[in-house]
Order: sequence, then C-alpha cells, then structure tokens
Amino acid sequence: MNRRKLLSLLGMSPAILAGESVLAAQGEKKPAPATHSSAAPAKPGTGPAKITTVNPKGMPPQIQLIPMAPRLDSLDGKTVYLVDTGFHGSDMLLEQIQEWFKTNMPGVTTVFKRKAGPYAQDDPALWKEIKEKGNAVIMAVGH
Amino acid sequence: MGIPSAPIITKAFKDLAILNAAKRGMPHERICFTQHPVWGKTPDELKVYVNGDDPVNNKPFMKEVVDALTVPLSDDEKKSGMVSVSVGPPTFTDTADNLQDFYLNNGYTDFLPIILPTEERVDAMMKGTSHHPDEVVGKMAAGAYPPWSYTVRHVAASAVMAGCRPEYFPLLLAVASTGIASLFSSTNSFAFAMIVNGPIRDKLEFNYGIGALGPFAQANAAIGRAWTIMSKNLGNGGIPGDTYLGSVGNNLNYNNVVIAENEEASPWDPFHVQRGFKKEENVVSLFRGLGVVPGQVARGSSVNTAPMFDQQMSDLFSTFTGFFGALIIADPLVAVRLHEQGYDTKDKLIAWLYKNTTQTVKDYKSRNYSYLFEYPQALQGVEPFATWYKLPDDAVIPHFPRPSSFNIVVTGGQTNAYPQGANMSYGVSVSIDKWA
Repeated sequence: MNRRKLLSLLGMSPAILAGESVLAAQGEKKPAPATHSSAAPAKPGTGPAKITTVNPKGMPPQIQLIPMAPRLDSLDGKTVYLVDTGFHGSDMLLEQIQEWFKTNMPGVTTVFKRKAGPYAQDDPALWKEIKEKGNAVIMAVGH
Repeated sequence: MGIPSAPIITKAFKDLAILNAAKRGMPHERICFTQHPVWGKTPDELKVYVNGDDPVNNKPFMKEVVDALTVPLSDDEKKSGMVSVSVGPPTFTDTADNLQDFYLNNGYTDFLPIILPTEERVDAMMKGTSHHPDEVVGKMAAGAYPPWSYTVRHVAASAVMAGCRPEYFPLLLAVASTGIASLFSSTNSFAFAMIVNGPIRDKLEFNYGIGALGPFAQANAAIGRAWTIMSKNLGNGGIPGDTYLGSVGNNLNYNNVVIAENEEASPWDPFHVQRGFKKEENVVSLFRGLGVVPGQVARGSSVNTAPMFDQQMSDLFSTFTGFFGALIIADPLVAVRLHEQGYDTKDKLIAWLYKNTTQTVKDYKSRNYSYLFEYPQALQGVEPFATWYKLPDDAVIPHFPRPSSFNIVVTGGQTNAYPQGANMSYGVSVSIDKWA
C-alpha cells in the first residue's frame, strides 16, 4: 500500500505529504493498470500477450489505533518534562525552549531530562517518573 | 503514558514522522516541526528556531507546542480499533512491458530491469526448497516501523526478479530468515555484506578467485542483488524519505558486498568454522557497516619494503569508527604471508590488532558514534565505555571496544597481495542447508 492510501485509510488527508521531494514520492507513483484478473490470451493482431506475475510485497501488520491522551486545560501551574533523546543538538534546543517558557509562560515548571541509553532505547523508569511527577512532555529529537 | 506529549521533529523528517506515527497507531499525533538541522547550531541560532515559525505548518513554533498539549482532542484523535493494510492483489496481469513499468514505478525493484516474476518462474524457484510456499519465513522491519512478515512465495518472487536460479533459493531463504534488511532507514547510508562458506560455493559457482568482489559470476551478482530487492519488498524498505533516509546513499546497496571465502587457499579456519559450524556445512553470515576501503591507501603497504600487513591493517582501521567493527578481506597471498609471520590463527592476528590499534580519549570522544551510541551506554555503566569516558583526554585506549570487533575472511585470486578493509560489524550466521 502506498503512503497516501495508508493515510487516507487512517482518516488523514494525504495532502499532508504535499510538497515532498521527487525522490520521496518514489515507490507510490503511477497507479498500475495491472489487475488480478485472469490473463486474457491475446488474439492474433491484437497486441502483445498478457501475462500474470506474483506480487512480491510482504504482509504488513494490522495497525492498532491508540487514542491520544486527554489534553490539559492550560499549562499554567503545570510541570512539563523536556526530554532529550540524545540526538546532537537536542539538549541545546530544549534549553532554548526552557528559556522561552521562563520568559513567556513563567507559571510553567520545566524539568529537563536526558533519556537513558541510545536514542532508540526505551526508558521505562523515566516514563514512570514523568507519569508520577509531570503533567506533559515535550520530546526533542534534534538531528 | 497517558500524558499529553508534543514531539519535536526537524522538517527534513516530516514524512517519516507522520508515517511512523500513523503506522504505529496514532495518525493524528500532534507533531511540531522545527528547522533543520539542529545539529551544529549555536544557542542564538536555536533561539531563532524556537521563536520562529513551524516550517511545515507555518504557525509560530511555540504556539504549536503549547497547542499540542492543550487544545482538546477531536473525535479522530480519540479513536481506537484495528485497521488492516493492503498491499494489493496477490497477482498482476498485463503485458510484459506494462508490468516492467509497474514494478519499477511502484518501488518493487532496484530501478534496473528485472526478470518478471511470472507464476511459472516463481513456481520453478520454489522447487529449490522443500519448504511449503505459504510457510512464513520471517519478519523484516524497515527502520523504526513495525515489521512485515513474508512467505516462501514472497521471497521467491524477489529472487526471480533479481535473476537468481532455483538452486540459489535456500541461500536466499536463509538470508530472509534473519529478518535483516540490506537497506536501513538511518541517515548514515549503511552498506551490507554477506560471507558464504561451505561446499555450496562451488555448487552455485560463486567466484572466490580473481575479482571475487566484482561482477564476474552470476551467483555473486544475483544473490547480492536479491538481498536488496527482498529488502524493498519483504519489509517495505528503501523508500526515500519514508523507510530510507541515507543522505548521500551507498552504491554498495545495489548488490551488497558478497564474499565467498576462498577456503582452499586460506591458511586459517574458514569463517563459519570460527562461528561453530562444521566445515562441510553451508552457511551465510551477515555484516552491517559503512563500506569498504582498499588496503593500498594505508601506511606499510609499499611493495618496496617487507610486507607489514598487520601494521597496514591497523593503520587502515585507525580511520574507522570503532562503533562498527573491522572486517579484514584478505587476498590469500596476504593471509599466507601473515601465517608465515607467526599468525597461525585468525585470533592471533585479531589480538595484535586489538592491542595495537589505538586512539586517545580526546579523539574517541570527538567521534559521532561515540556521542550518539556509546556515551549513553557509558552513563548506564556499560564497559568499556564507562571507563573510557572517565579517563583524561590524553589517555590511550583501544580503537575498537573489544577483540570481537574484528573479523577476517580470505578471498581473491592471488594476483597481488592486497587486503581490503570493511568498517562493518558482524551480525549473524545461519545455516543454508536448513532451507534446502
């Protein structure tokens, strides 16, 4: 399934991918004229014969939709965790976001944390801490 | 977690972030985008990012962040349930020319002409194995996405497309069973390699003589190509901007580095025997890393002096990242000379290389992979990184974290004593015979 069809299936507008580069669009262009109907034998003089080929694509898993967590009425008086995944520059970007809150929303308490382990590694201890002590999360990947 | 979150992604990864959230079940995740790159910017430059607009949604960036955490959820954002994803019908029917275009335009190929996987050809390919066409062979993930699964028939279709013969099929099933794709989503433009050992090298007529790594035998060429086509089709890898992000890309991805070991000309145990297999077993071993460099560029490579291949390799590897290992690809002339110099096992050479290939802590810390992957482990107490990060900058430490970072394979036609070095780490060895 191409990317636009996938997003449509999940209730999103495929237009969100508009403006992507030519290369990024590869793999989904030009819908096929091919069908899975039986091959029609060509008659003499009617053009090249049709053949039947196997779809080589593997089997994607079903997608389980996850309801998003309820939002806060306001951030005022709340604690927001700023989580650095470890990509270069993420910590510096989050420091600037921390400064922005101090200046523009001083009623917000921010807590900076670097996630344990390399960027793709889970950190259940931090998630537990945030759930116990925090109200919201801003996570930056940088790069 | 049950707590509102606002993920921040740089705009270069817009499609990846949107599609990853969708494929993981949160298609409406409120992703906030900032300028790209964040890496290498000063605090003042990043302040401009934060105070500026989200470059994707064209709204003030911090308003996007605050809104992501506070605007009430829509009905779509509260949805649960399961969604099935289709990849189309099991077969396609059209003219050969139209099908060539269709397979190419839908990303099923490596953008070179393919052998069309007709039902007859796929059936013939599957005669190369005793396994049932509908048997699930494994699961393969394109980067961070949930893995896809695939059957013997799916593997056979890609094998036909790459120009493989039915007798190659057990080897391809063995590779597919590992779930390791040869196209990886990282921005690093990774390369992949496989080592083939056992009598199957001759049965399939692999070239492990002159030009062993070049385009001089169908088995080397087609099997390597098949790994890439399999990676595109079995796990949906290799879609630029979505499941592939290598910035420059890697030419080795066309057919990977396929190495049939020249076991007969090597003075050492074959690679698969080192991994615990019997010499008569047929085994394929997989590697991942950055690429291959010729040994002629290293110090100690002059033919006007006595060969110092150990020093030559050490010098070559000192430019590698220690995060990936060093795979020595030695012509038999190199291997025999090293053996004559006292390295009567591969392990002896590896021990010398581990001890003598060094770096300062300052150099180590300056490397990209040290910061990204090993510093976080150091913080968790993982050795040797925890110790290395406590040492002074001028301390001298091994260039590679452990002796097992090194691997050696012998191949080539003995026309000259040239080794090559791959900045690649060992992944896994699997039996080919199991898939016959």
